[in-house]
Formats: sequence, C-alpha cells, structure tokens
Amino acid sequence: MDPPDPPGRVESFDPEANPGQDGPVMTRTHSHATTALLAILLGCTASCGRDEGPQHTDDGALILRAWAHSGQEEERRILEAQIERFNQQNEDLHVDLTLIPEGAYNGQVQAAALAGELPDLLEFDGPFVYNYAWQGQLRPIRDLLQPGTFDNLIPSIVDQGTYAGRFWTVGTFDSGLCLYASRSQLEAINARIPTHPSAAWTVDEFDAILLQLAQAAESGHALDLKLNYRGEWYCYAFSPALYSAGGGLVAEPEHDTAAGVLDGPESIGAMRWFQRWIYEHGLVDRNVDDAAFTEGRVAISWTGHWEYENYLQALGDDLVLIPLPDFGHGTRSGQGSWSWGITAACPQPGAAARFLDFLLEDRQVLEMTGANGAVPATRSAIEQSEPYAEGGGRHLFALQLTEGHVVPRPRTPAYPVITSAFEQAFLAIADGGDVESTLQTAAATISRDIEDNDGYPAPADERHGEDD
Amino acid sequence: MTEPPPAPRLRILHALPAGPLMALPAVLALLLFVALPFATAVALSFTDLRMGSPLATEFVGAQQYQRAFEDDSFRRALANNLWFAAVVVPLQTLLALGLALALNRSFRGRAAFRTLFFLPVVFPMALIAVVWQLIYAPGPNGILNALLATVSFGAIEPLDVLRHPQLALPALMLLSIWQGVGFQMVVLLAGLQAIPASLYEAAAVDRAGKVSQLFHVTLPQLRNPLVFTMLVTTILSFRVYDQVAIATRGGPLDATTTVMFETVRTVFDRQQVGLASAMSVVFFLMVLAVTLVQRALVRQEREID
Repeated sequence: MDPPDPPGRVESFDPEANPGQDGPVMTRTHSHATTALLAILLGCTASCGRDEGPQHTDDGALILRAWAHSGQEEERRILEAQIERFNQQNEDLHVDLTLIPEGAYNGQVQAAALAGELPDLLEFDGPFVYNYAWQGQLRPIRDLLQPGTFDNLIPSIVDQGTYAGRFWTVGTFDSGLCLYASRSQLEAINARIPTHPSAAWTVDEFDAILLQLAQAAESGHALDLKLNYRGEWYCYAFSPALYSAGGGLVAEPEHDTAAGVLDGPESIGAMRWFQRWIYEHGLVDRNVDDAAFTEGRVAISWTGHWEYENYLQALGDDLVLIPLPDFGHGTRSGQGSWSWGITAACPQPGAAARFLDFLLEDRQVLEMTGANGAVPATRSAIEQSEPYAEGGGRHLFALQLTEGHVVPRPRTPAYPVITSAFEQAFLAIADGGDVESTLQTAAATISRDIEDNDGYPAPADERHGEDD
Repeated sequence: MTEPPPAPRLRILHALPAGPLMALPAVLALLLFVALPFATAVALSFTDLRMGSPLATEFVGAQQYQRAFEDDSFRRALANNLWFAAVVVPLQTLLALGLALALNRSFRGRAAFRTLFFLPVVFPMALIAVVWQLIYAPGPNGILNALLATVSFGAIEPLDVLRHPQLALPALMLLSIWQGVGFQMVVLLAGLQAIPASLYEAAAVDRAGKVSQLFHVTLPQLRNPLVFTMLVTTILSFRVYDQVAIATRGGPLDATTTVMFETVRTVFDRQQVGLASAMSVVFFLMVLAVTLVQRALVRQEREID
C-alpha cells in the first residue's frame, strides 16, 4: 500500500502514484515542455535517431537499456532486485536500468524522443501512452510477448495498452476507485451497504444517503471528493461518472470530436449531480488538510485504492468499500497506471519482450504490488494476492477491473488536452458555473485540438510490419 | 603631454571604442536570453506548433491571436492582471513607505521589527501560498474565519475566501502584498537614510512641521527609490502566477486567473505552443504599454521640478 504522500512530493499524472495536494502537475509537464522546446530549438527532430546496432557487455550479453520512473523507495528497490534476478537468469541479456525522477519523467522522455535517444525499454504514465505510440516511438508488442503472458492479463490492462487497433504497452499493476465509508454511520441511517459492483447504489439512492448523512453529521458535510488533489485526478476520478450516465469525454471509438458527448445530455446530467453535492448543498468537504475522512468529518470518501491502508488505520473494522454510484448504466471506476513499452528504435525487440514476460511472472507482479499496494495486472497474480483475491480487503478493486466496471482513459493522443479541459470544467461547475455552457466550452476546446491535429491520424502500419 | 607609444599588439584594441566593447558580453547575453526567445515567440505565435506532434507545423496567420481573444478565460485573465496591478502597486508602495518611515525612527527592537517585516521576502511564494491557504481555510476552524468570528463575537459567518467570486482575487492581493512589501520597505529605508539630516534641520529652521517636512523634504528626496520600487512592483504584479497556481487554480470561475496561468496551462498541459506564444506576445505588449505610461508620468514630474 502506498504510504500517504509527504507534502511537497510532485504529483504523478497517474492517480496510482497517489496524488498529493502540494504537487502541482504543472511541475512535471513544465520541464517536459522546456526540454522538448529546447530540442526543437536545437533543430533536432525525431529523425535524428540513434542508429547504433545492438551493444554487448564484456561477457557478450546483449545490453537492453531500460528507463523507469523512480517511484517510492520500496518500489525502486523491488525493481532493481528484479532486474538483477533477470540478468542472472538470462546470461545472454543484460538489462541496464536508468531511474528518472518521477517529477521530470515525461520531460526527459520527450526530450530523448526528440533527440532520438530513447532506450530499448521504456516505462511511462498512462495518459501519455497514446502520444508516444502516435509519434511512432513505440512498437506493438502483442506478438512479441509469450501468448501465455498476454492471455493472463486482466482486461483493463489490455484496454489500456490498445491504441489504433494494436497493443503497445503493458503494465504490471493497475488502479481503481471506490467509495470508502464508515459502516456505523451508514447503519445509523439504515442505508443499504452494497459491496459488489452489480449492486452499486443508484445515484438517487446515493444522493439521499448523502443528504441524510450530512444532516446527521456535526460538520454538515458527508462526502470527500479529494478536491485537494489537482491535475489528472479530476478526469481520472469523475469522468467515469459521465460514462456511467451514458455520456463520456469524446466520441468512441473514433475520438474525432467531443461535441455531443462531453456536452451531451447524459454528461450534463452527471455533472449536475456533482454541482448539486458540491455547490448547491455544500455536502462536500473541501479537504484542505487531506484528513476529511480520517478525522471523521465525512462518512464517505470517493478515492482510489492507494488510500486503503491509511483509511484502514483510521477506521479499523468500521471501514467498508463500496462501488462508486451508478449513474444509469452501471458503476464505473477509473483505471490505468504506469506501464512498459518497447521503443521503435530497439534493435532486438524479441529480447526486450523477454524482460516484459519476466516482469509479468506471478512472483514479480506480487512483489511489486506488495510494495506499492496497487492491483496486480494478471489474473493468476490476483488469485494469489491476499488483499485482492476473493475475501481480501481490497477484492472490490480486482472485481471492478476483471469484470469490466471500469473505463480506460480515452485512447487518443488528445488526452493531455482532454484531461486539462475536463479539470477546468469540473472546477468551474463545482464553483457554480452553468453546467451546459461550461461543458460546451470544454468540448469545443477538445474538438478544436483534434481538428488542429487532423484528427490524430493513427500511426502508419508499415513501420511495424512484424506485428498483426 | 607625451604618451608612450602603445604596444603593437594592443593597437587593434585601441582602435575599437571601449564602451561598446565592454558592453558586448551583456548585450550578447541579452540578445541570446531575452531577444532571441522573444523573437521566437513572435514567430511561433503565427504557427500551429504543437509539442511532440509528428505533424508538420504550418503558418496560420493571426489565427492564434483570434483564438486567444475569443477565449473567455484569457480575456478575464487580462482584466484580472490589470486590476491586480492597479490595486497592488499603489497599496504596496504606500504600505512600504509607511513601514519605512516608522522603522526609520529609533526605538528599542528596531532591528527585530525590520527583520520581521523583511522575513516574508525570503520565503518562496509557493511556500507562502500554501501557508495562506491554511489561513484562508474554509469552515469555522480556518485561521481567518476563527479570527473574524472572535472579533465579531460570532456575527461573521465562516467564509470560503478562496472560492468566493468577489473575495478570491483580493485575498491573493493581500498575500502578495504581505510577501512583497518587505522588499520595497528595505529599498525605501535605504533611501531615507541617504537623506542628509541638514535638510531636515534647515526645514525645521524654516518652521516646517512634520507633515510639511514629509511632503517637501522626504518625498522629493525619495523620488528615485520610489520610482524604482513602483516599477519593480508593477512588473512583479503582472507576473503573478505561483499563488494562483497553488491557492486557487484560477478559480472560482476564472475570478483569479492570470495571463501567466492561462499561458502555462496552454503550453505545458495542452501542448499548444502556437496559442501560448500568441498569449505571451499579447502579455508582453500589455506590460510594455503600462511601463511606457508609467515612465512618461514619472518623466513629467521630473520636468515640473
């Protein structure tokens, strides 16, 4: 389980990595852009790629360069140990790991991409995957992985890695959302306590429960939406509600416009609920100190798997995990996390894929998820994972991911614009802005970006002839 | 006077004018780090450059400028910036002057007070924004709300200042002034100490009272430091970004958004380099205009004297 964020830690664009209020997402994208711009100014384009052939160690092992984000200490230690184990098991291969601080990760990678200096293996944040694939930096990996490895993946990981009909990236863990609640406070108002996604509260039921809880609470608040988080959190946490209502962020599967979807009646309806809870009825704690739930100021907290350990400590047996409310078409949680890809420049993709096969072995997946508390990305690992297997405290997250109660981020390179526009719209609606016109503005911003990029044409097939 | 003939190898240097030669490093640095990036921004503002896009960049004319001005948030940001500067610059300068005058007298603990007022300048704005976020925290337990409730005997209801459409920007102004005033105070204090005591003595002989001394000795003597602090404050107040990004994220409903905030969001979150360049060019022109007006006013005063 992730420990609570120390203040000042730079927030990942990825909710798995535990967004904290003091880490503006700006910091990272900032350096990302600066380095990228620098590369542009220096006149280097993606075409000045490296063309050295495969490199070998002194004992003749093929060197595979790998970049990963340097996450929490425990995660880092595990990854380093796993690489050592891999290098020992495979005498002909030598994985050479470079850890890059999370805060500057995408900046470094983008700059390296522009300079043609990408390594063979690359880890990246969910939201940027489709950008890399679109830029032609990655190669599809479906046929490079062992069939057993691919078939063992949970469906959300397959979804996350699939873009333009091909499979590009694979994660060893995934993420999820739920409502953490105080059982005793729910029982005090005689609320039904659903624990399976198929039995989720309807949004009307949820609304009634919130009103009752707020009335019973000293604080007058009933719900924590982690409004202290910033950046990617809003799209990750609340856009699934639009899908649950039958709306969404962009037209699926074409991703050619947001008009009529993000500002369609279903999405407007879903966002009206948030406005009602936050603005009209003041049911939501602003959570400036990130302690609304642990201090008992609210009875329900709408957040991710990373808070489990922290909340369990505060509430003990009183803690109960409930699926997010159903806005009409079934409950929907966010998903997605860090994942691995093989670069287009990698001279020996088959060898690189052997490393990914290794990382997805049960032992490795269980070690990693044991360290960071995330949901294992393979079916067999979930079965062996004490917290996520049936009967485990966090089983709900595994259920949601394996049984399809989740929505992947829109798989388009427009995602950075989508998440930024959605955050802006969500905050405006939470402050009482007109729901319909706010969503229209956001939809127009997204649609215009898609148009500006000629609809983000899918990467050409011939470059990756070995796949599909 | 006969000069010894210059050594032959130095002749070339002597032939060159010394002034421009000595200015050269600084001029080069200015060109490289100020003029070149700005020229690049102007050039990019007429293109549709997107970060990391494999698509070719195209010339789009003034389209990005049109888009910037069609964007409600950007227009609001321009207005907020002007309003912020219009309030903060005079208020902060007056406050700094008052503090400098007060702390220029001799009393016990003067050094301690000077240090205290200067302290916020040392802290980074990001830290100050976080601290003030706690001061402005909503609910009855927020520091400001608790204070207001105490002094009003509970008559003032707890406010959510940073989410209040009318109070959010003034709240940011207040914390900015609190952070910045110490710097101007120190500059003005130095100016005060440079005023010769003989001027005050002469004024006293002429039976000028304290008020009259302030307006006819102190303020005229302080003109240069005052002009300097006002210019610096103007530029700093246009650059306002950290407190917005941390404390309000431009909200509620764009009440606190600024041009810097919109530009950073456009380029770094949305990767739209062309549009962001157009925004920064507009921003530059606005700051340039304000600075020129300010300079013109100051110059006029000088001529009257």
